[in-house]
Amino acid sequence: MRTRQPATEQYNPLAVFIEGLSTLFYGMLVTWRNFWRPKVTVRYPYQRKPMPPRYRGLFYLKWNEEKQRLNCVGCTLCAQACPTDVISMVKLGKGTNAGVSEFTMDLGRCLFCNLCVEACPFDAIYMGPAYELASERRDAALFRIADLAQGGEEAVRTNIETVQRLMAEEEKARPAAGGHAG
Amino acid sequence: MSMPVSPEKQSTLSTVDILSQGMVINVGPQHPSTHGVLRLILTLDGEQILHCEPVIGYLHRGLEKMMERRPYRHNVPFTDRLDYLAALSNNLGICQCIERLGGVEVPERAQYIRVLLMELQRIASHLVFLGTFGTDLGATTMFLYAFRERELVLDLLEECTGARLTYNWIRVGGVPDDLPEGFGEKVLGFVKTFRQRLEEYDQLLTRNRIFRSRTQGIGILPKELALAYGTSGPVIRASGMAYDVRKAAPYEVYDRVEFDVPVHEQGDVWARYLVRMEEMRQSIRIIEQVLRDIPDGPVQTKLPKVFKPPAGIAYSRIESPRGELSFMMVSDGSPNPLRVHIRAPSFVNLSVLPSLLEGTKVADLVAILGSIDVVLGEIDR
Ligand code: SF4
Ligand code: SF4
Repeated sequence: MRTRQPATEQYNPLAVFIEGLSTLFYGMLVTWRNFWRPKVTVRYPYQRKPMPPRYRGLFYLKWNEEKQRLNCVGCTLCAQACPTDVISMVKLGKGTNAGVSEFTMDLGRCLFCNLCVEACPFDAIYMGPAYELASERRDAALFRIADLAQGGEEAVRTNIETVQRLMAEEEKARPAAGGHAG
Repeated sequence: MSMPVSPEKQSTLSTVDILSQGMVINVGPQHPSTHGVLRLILTLDGEQILHCEPVIGYLHRGLEKMMERRPYRHNVPFTDRLDYLAALSNNLGICQCIERLGGVEVPERAQYIRVLLMELQRIASHLVFLGTFGTDLGATTMFLYAFRERELVLDLLEECTGARLTYNWIRVGGVPDDLPEGFGEKVLGFVKTFRQRLEEYDQLLTRNRIFRSRTQGIGILPKELALAYGTSGPVIRASGMAYDVRKAAPYEVYDRVEFDVPVHEQGDVWARYLVRMEEMRQSIRIIEQVLRDIPDGPVQTKLPKVFKPPAGIAYSRIESPRGELSFMMVSDGSPNPLRVHIRAPSFVNLSVLPSLLEGTKVADLVAILGSIDVVLGEIDR
């Protein structure tokens, strides 16, 4: 184990030279074969590969076109499933029709582990195909509801309006005794 | 410079030795051949290494302590960051340990899927070894070819798990989702190409005279020493011990698939390289059998929201691409583990480095270190 083992075969420089040369050409054969194979390089960022459907990139909050709102009801199950406390939210209203007015994710801490998506029982949060998330500023890792919601600013506004309307309707429908707006 | 030279030596030497004994140099922590942030303090006598002292801990994150503060299942994604070239193996290790602790059954289909992913992961990891090892020894072409094929494996894994490096795709009680549509055919297609490419690697590297002279007879690790240090994986198999956890204590469905454990007697860098090459061939065999035998059925056992295993200790071990990876967890019946310990194969394998390097030339350092194939994320945890 200490030093190089003594060579057992008789050292014949010429034989070694010839053998070395032959293996060199043998190796070059492989290079030659590969030279004619199609290129595998993707010229990123000019060319991009399509992402597979399961790809785990930037999150989005799903927009429900039919109900005109985000699916999220602010139940915090995703936040509880997260190992690194990425998610925080502000709930809007209560009951089954509740929503969120703010939903913040600090992706600087995120492991992209998918546990939050699996925890959500309301089909509300998903991971999309966007992957270029690097930035030189730390606060760029903070994603707010308008960055996450499908449809952006517009969707968030409509979402809040819809949830507020639903809450008001529920309030009206409820018997007067229990009705007490918080 | 004058130097004390004994009288009898003085009579035989025409020139006086230059004082070069005990020169200390630093390799790393930022050196391309250390494959991460490993620092080696070498004491040299000319070209010879007298003494080597590895310094580790640059990547320490206190993972074991972090795990104590989180519920069991939240800890699985952290293990991705241990051995980042074989994240799925780590996921399996910790999930198996939690399953033993809580007595969780895993459906049969999930077990087959796990084995399939493990072997794909092994191929991907060994390809990184092959590429970087080739580069270390000056065969840069190998790097490009190996990474081209690794890309194919990563594409497959990405399609299945959604991530390219930190997969987190093993769950306690199974796997989160079934294999995607047509995954089996794609894997078989890859296997077909890969078999051909392995032949080419052999042609390019295994038969190469320069590569052979740089690896044969270098860094010989005798069997007794390998055993005494507790090394595992390809390192111990290259020293003549047929030890593989997949055979010694079969987990998942490894007892139902047929494969050989490659063993070489020489214990040198060359043998460690050959063992890994052969392991990739065996992985292909396992993959083909798994795809042939995989049954239908559910892939995950439903678990309660708050998972509280009964008090006790569980220990599980698996064969990661680098060796025997094991987890120990102590439960006191609460949702968080009381203690977690990780036995990282790279850590143990690295511990033989000082005795391997003693007396070798500096130029062989990269070959020897590369052949142990350490991942620093796992050593420092
Ligand atoms: S992906 Fe993981 S770390 Fe990121 S927000 Fe979801 S649960 Fe948290
Ligand atoms: S995203 Fe899902 S789990 Fe998270 S608060 Fe909204 S509804 Fe609940």
